[in-house]
Amino acid sequence: MTTASPSAAALRTAATPYLFLAPALLVTLAVVLVPVAQTVWMSLHDYILYRPQNVPFIGLGNFTRLLKDEVFWISLWNSAWWIVLVVGLQFALGLGAALLLNQSFWWRGLARSLIIIPWALPSVIIGLTWTWMYDFNVGVLNDLVLRLGLVDKPVPWLAQPTTSFYAIVLALVWQGFPFFAVTILAGLQTIGQELYEAADIDGATRFQRLRLVILPSIADVIMTALLLRTIWVANSLDVILVMTGGGPGYATHTLPLYAFLKAYSGMEFGYGSALALVLTALLLVVVFAYVRRAAKDLGR
Amino acid sequence: MKRRTFLQLAGAGALAAPFVSPAAAQQATVRWWYHFDNPQNSPAELVAAFEKENPGIKIQAESIPWGGGSDYYTRLFASLVAGNAPDCAMVKLNNQAQLLQMGALEPLDSRLGGWAARSDISDSIWNVNKATDGKQYFLPVQYVVLYLYYRTDLFQAAGLQPPKTYEDFLAAAKALTKGDVYGFGMRGGAGGHDNWAPFVLGNGATFDKGGMVSEKALAGNRFYVSLMRDHKVVPPSAPTDGFRQIVDGFKAGRSAMVIHHVGSSNEMVQALGDKVSAVPVPKPAGAKGWTIFGDESNAVFSASKQKDAAFRWISFLSTANNNVAFNKLTGQLPVTTSSAATWDVHPKRFVEASAASLPAAGVLPDLPKTADFVRTVWPTSMQRALLGQITPDDMMKAVEAHFHG
Repeated sequence: MTTASPSAAALRTAATPYLFLAPALLVTLAVVLVPVAQTVWMSLHDYILYRPQNVPFIGLGNFTRLLKDEVFWISLWNSAWWIVLVVGLQFALGLGAALLLNQSFWWRGLARSLIIIPWALPSVIIGLTWTWMYDFNVGVLNDLVLRLGLVDKPVPWLAQPTTSFYAIVLALVWQGFPFFAVTILAGLQTIGQELYEAADIDGATRFQRLRLVILPSIADVIMTALLLRTIWVANSLDVILVMTGGGPGYATHTLPLYAFLKAYSGMEFGYGSALALVLTALLLVVVFAYVRRAAKDLGR
Repeated sequence: MKRRTFLQLAGAGALAAPFVSPAAAQQATVRWWYHFDNPQNSPAELVAAFEKENPGIKIQAESIPWGGGSDYYTRLFASLVAGNAPDCAMVKLNNQAQLLQMGALEPLDSRLGGWAARSDISDSIWNVNKATDGKQYFLPVQYVVLYLYYRTDLFQAAGLQPPKTYEDFLAAAKALTKGDVYGFGMRGGAGGHDNWAPFVLGNGATFDKGGMVSEKALAGNRFYVSLMRDHKVVPPSAPTDGFRQIVDGFKAGRSAMVIHHVGSSNEMVQALGDKVSAVPVPKPAGAKGWTIFGDESNAVFSASKQKDAAFRWISFLSTANNNVAFNKLTGQLPVTTSSAATWDVHPKRFVEASAASLPAAGVLPDLPKTADFVRTVWPTSMQRALLGQITPDDMMKAVEAHFHG
């Protein structure tokens, strides 16, 4: 065996990191990039699953169709409202819960474990549980409001467009707030005692302490949690699918649900892919913000 | 040969023995997908009986969640496209056209020719299941017909007869809507097209071009929507109520009539005893009417490498006693003529109502777009019409546009 020339050695040194990265890159390529490329390909074709022999190329046809599709715009608007409400309320509730759980009381350990339960339950179970809680004939919610005298007739919560959307939002808020609670609680525990003491000495009120000490200290954690949750909530359709299937009418259609129905009910994979790509493009803005944050944290 | 080498070879031989014995070489494994309404029921006994009769064939029965049909078919289609489909599966007519267009189905005609028990299934059932190309791809295994459940006690108290015509139906629904009881437990959510069809297809709507916007079709649909919008004889939750909601509501005494089939009769009787009975769905005076024939068959897939073994299994399930045992698991009615007389799984009045409904029974047309009509187009436009977001006629235009663009 001959000894390697200096230039070959340099090359090897330069290539080594890439070799180490290669397995991870290959896996990413296979499970992320290939499906994305396939989705892009399908979105440019009139691809109908039960007609696999005849898949004509239609260029941007699916995208121009989408602009004229009333249901697309309804779903897009619902999605925006859905994200704002669900993420906003989950955050508010999560922050409140975290502040409570950061106090000291004798069953704090138990409370901290119990709060995880909604987050740990499968979405389908949550969807079914809430569907029956909202049920017109036998639901516990109607029973409760009737007994309290708040209404004189049961309310068809999921069957009227004015309430069905908010009924599902409430179920989702319940499911997701523990994520914020736990994340924020972890952040709260990193705040040094001396900051609280300094605030006390300066005569800060409880609200000032929250606004001037606590929130600035955990701003990074909150930002990251908000971005992550926005991505997850924007993508999620399981609970809606179980609870109303998008109805009544289009009242609970969101963009991922509409894409799913077009693909798996209509078997229109081309159009469904186009819808999914629009959602991806919108979400990329949030993902970009998240990645920048993550990179900044790494750079510290 | 060294002792150690000998031992190694002997060990390897012993391990390999099961794979080379002649009996095992002929072993065929048939993968079969099924769905039962009650997931706790298992076909294990039928599988054991079959495997005993056919020692060369192993049945791998896989329970697939039904999910109103969407879950089951999504998985079936995906598995077919991915080349990992079962050898045979339970299937319904409203997906036959799509499966045929995919080239996924194996014609059974030649195998059926040599099958002795073929004549035990009536010609009318064979005909309903025949594909548009005249071939037989489906082997029927069970059936139901949709009819009208009604509360005998409430009808009696109001001095009413069970309804025969649309007019009778509306009059009864109005008379029985009182307090927290509604005359009719309408199903506007998933699967509700089979409640709607007797009033719209029964009044003369068809799936031919223009058939959904004919005067009779529009009138039938206006009548159906008016039950909620004008007469208010259905619960306000009707737009999203599905199977469970209407049956539970009826059992809890919140509605006086619902449309379903014999499959729910036992739980109805358990809750209401002899206060529940059934008659054929209402129809226009003097006409034949229309109700849904709920079919279920087994089919063999063309990509299967075990077609003969798969056929042997599915024909086993449609043979006399096995078919009875199978339907005890699904709660539907056997397709074999020989078992009709001895069938004791459902109270007689519901079996009779099913039989009385057969002359008007039909299936939705076998078109590639029927499945999406059932799963998305019908529920969405029906719900919008029931909520007053669109007119009943706009709903019918949407249905017409779905089928005929």
